[in-house]
Amino acid sequence: MKVLVAMSGGVDSSVAAGLLLEAGHDVVGATLKLWGGISDSGCCTVADVDDARRVAQILGVDHHVFNYTEEFERHVVTPFVTAHLAGRSPNPCIECNRHIKFDLLFERAERLGFDAVATGHHARVVAREGSHYLVRGADDQKDQSYVLGYLREEQLAHLLLPIGHLRKVEVRDHAERLGLRTWDKPDSQDVCFIEAAKGREEFLRRRAPLTRTIIVDAQSGEELGEGVGELMTVGQRRGVTPARDGTRRYVSRVDLVAQRVEVGPLESIMVSTLGLDEASLTFARESLESGATVLAQCSAHGSVQLATLRHEGNWWLDLHAPARPVAPGQSVVLYRVDDPTVVEGAAIVSAP
Amino acid sequence: MTLLYFDHAASAPRRDDVAEAMGRWQHGVVGNPSGSHRAAREARRAVEEARDEVAELVGAKPGEVIFTAGGTESCQLAIAGVTHHHRREHERSEIVLSRIEHHAVIDAAETMARDDPNVSVRYVEVDAEGVVELDSLRDQLSEHTAIVSVMAVNNETGVRQPLDGVAAVVKSSRPRAAATHTDAVAAAPWLSLPVVTSSMDLVSICAHKLGGPVNSGALIVRGGVALDPVTPGGGQERGKRGGTVDVAAAVGLAASLRATRRDLTEVVDRVLDYQLRLGAALSFLPGCAITSGAAARVPGTVHVTFEGLASDELLFLLDQAGVCASAAASCSSGAANQSHVLAAMGIAPERARGSLRLSMGAETTSTDVDRLIEILSSVVYRLTSESSRTSDLAD
Repeated sequence: MKVLVAMSGGVDSSVAAGLLLEAGHDVVGATLKLWGGISDSGCCTVADVDDARRVAQILGVDHHVFNYTEEFERHVVTPFVTAHLAGRSPNPCIECNRHIKFDLLFERAERLGFDAVATGHHARVVAREGSHYLVRGADDQKDQSYVLGYLREEQLAHLLLPIGHLRKVEVRDHAERLGLRTWDKPDSQDVCFIEAAKGREEFLRRRAPLTRTIIVDAQSGEELGEGVGELMTVGQRRGVTPARDGTRRYVSRVDLVAQRVEVGPLESIMVSTLGLDEASLTFARESLESGATVLAQCSAHGSVQLATLRHEGNWWLDLHAPARPVAPGQSVVLYRVDDPTVVEGAAIVSAP
Repeated sequence: MTLLYFDHAASAPRRDDVAEAMGRWQHGVVGNPSGSHRAAREARRAVEEARDEVAELVGAKPGEVIFTAGGTESCQLAIAGVTHHHRREHERSEIVLSRIEHHAVIDAAETMARDDPNVSVRYVEVDAEGVVELDSLRDQLSEHTAIVSVMAVNNETGVRQPLDGVAAVVKSSRPRAAATHTDAVAAAPWLSLPVVTSSMDLVSICAHKLGGPVNSGALIVRGGVALDPVTPGGGQERGKRGGTVDVAAAVGLAASLRATRRDLTEVVDRVLDYQLRLGAALSFLPGCAITSGAAARVPGTVHVTFEGLASDELLFLLDQAGVCASAAASCSSGAANQSHVLAAMGIAPERARGSLRLSMGAETTSTDVDRLIEILSSVVYRLTSESSRTSDLAD
């Protein structure tokens, strides 16, 4: 098969390329240049492109650099900023996977004559009864099925995830065996276009005016101080001082218009229903409908909880047990109850 | 697979006669030209003979030739060297550049401005064909202007720039006339440098666009224009460029200029025919527009844009077919970046995304051009039919 491997220069995609080559595929590597600005943790810096190119040289495959900086700005960075200004907490990695890696790269790969696209994500594609399902990676600690939750059947049919059946330590062993110099490179983390040292606040501040908000205890009315509203997320505890009796307090409400953030004890913020943004709703199979019970995961490495889908005007997710709230803009990925590694669908959580 | 090399403007094929001339200085004892013994004297003699030849072929006196490690360094020395010197004697220094300069010039200037609040960069506009506008230049000049830099030929579009007009505007400005610099790197394979650059104070050239070695170039400093060295250590090159002079590189620069000059008329006549043929054939392809078609261009460059196509995809399929070409502006990552040159010409980003630069030289043959036309046509037809299919699906 003719396969285009998205290579970031990291160990996972490097080994993915190496394993495909060993399996006898016709492999071409491509690195996506996504971000034109300064970043130190990204998958798209010049140094990473150089690493990916060197890996391709060692493996003996052709390597190309595809420039998606404009598309990245349009589909990922701008929505990231806009969402913050609207009081939402977006997940840019999910947007990047959806719009850049899968929509645009898949289309390009098809135009350029490839049969499939491969990435180094820790997840698996399983074909069953003529359909393709996304399944969690073999390494629980590294599973990335959450960020791939929006892939559609027709995309899964052309996607290869060559390292999804491996544990991370096995991936590193393969890298060493294949003589790839990235084998001891640290995993990339955080948002790739934001410099770790300067952080989200400075990034947003350079692009938009931010809102100073007062932080108020919703029950006692006590004013705790000030904060930047766009950086406060419902459910967050970090940066919120505990009550006098030592009770931890959490953000329960962010109101950018009133310039007010409310906090309260954990029990006051627990929710049992999540609203889902209908436009974002993606189902892996059509049989999933109102009333279906699923396992819901609300962050990249979060735990799952039982929930029931409900279509009543909008789409809702009724949690079987109250849980910490999920900030609007975050994604919830649904897994099968009877087969908890299989992805059923995904949706963005809407404002309450 | 046979290589069809259409990226001469990025780096020209190395000439055998240049390699031969350099060979003597790449083996065994090569004295340091600054020394005093016989090996050093022999090396120094080769450097000075190369300098004489470079001076003659660029149109300068031998003492006006500073050997450098390439075009980027030459531009850096011109911009930073003149501005540093100016700034030591003035409150403010302004660097005036055309918007379409190579990054070697733009980044040299912007770095100066970043590091010194009393240095600023002012940009001269170009018209829709990519030609520098002299009225805009006049507007940007002031009593603080330290240096004006306008390239002789643009490296992306191949468009010639009105250097004599630039010099006339600058020299007529008052109260004091600024130094003028031209990056003649892209002009050198095609034009008579003594004629084209005669009105400029400083001229940057390099060898590898002429079939010589990389990391070999020169800055011509005519008429005693004052500049500070960027690397003062050692005081070589009359104190303008410290560091041991690379004998082989200097010899290679002279040899590549000589070979270019020798073949110039024949190559220009022949490649001009290819340019016309290629331009005519490409203009029939769907969505294709020839960039700067109405401007005076050097024969070697055909720059085109394809509506609705992406350079990355064109280059990928061309590469698969053995064609080496570029999207003109490459960043250090190897990705095709959006071109500041096309932006300055007012070419819409959507169109600039589908840009392609095909550049030719002495080694290009008529058969190469025919095969390129055939391959490029099939690539463009394939991508246009595929992309219309994809957008049909999206609808």
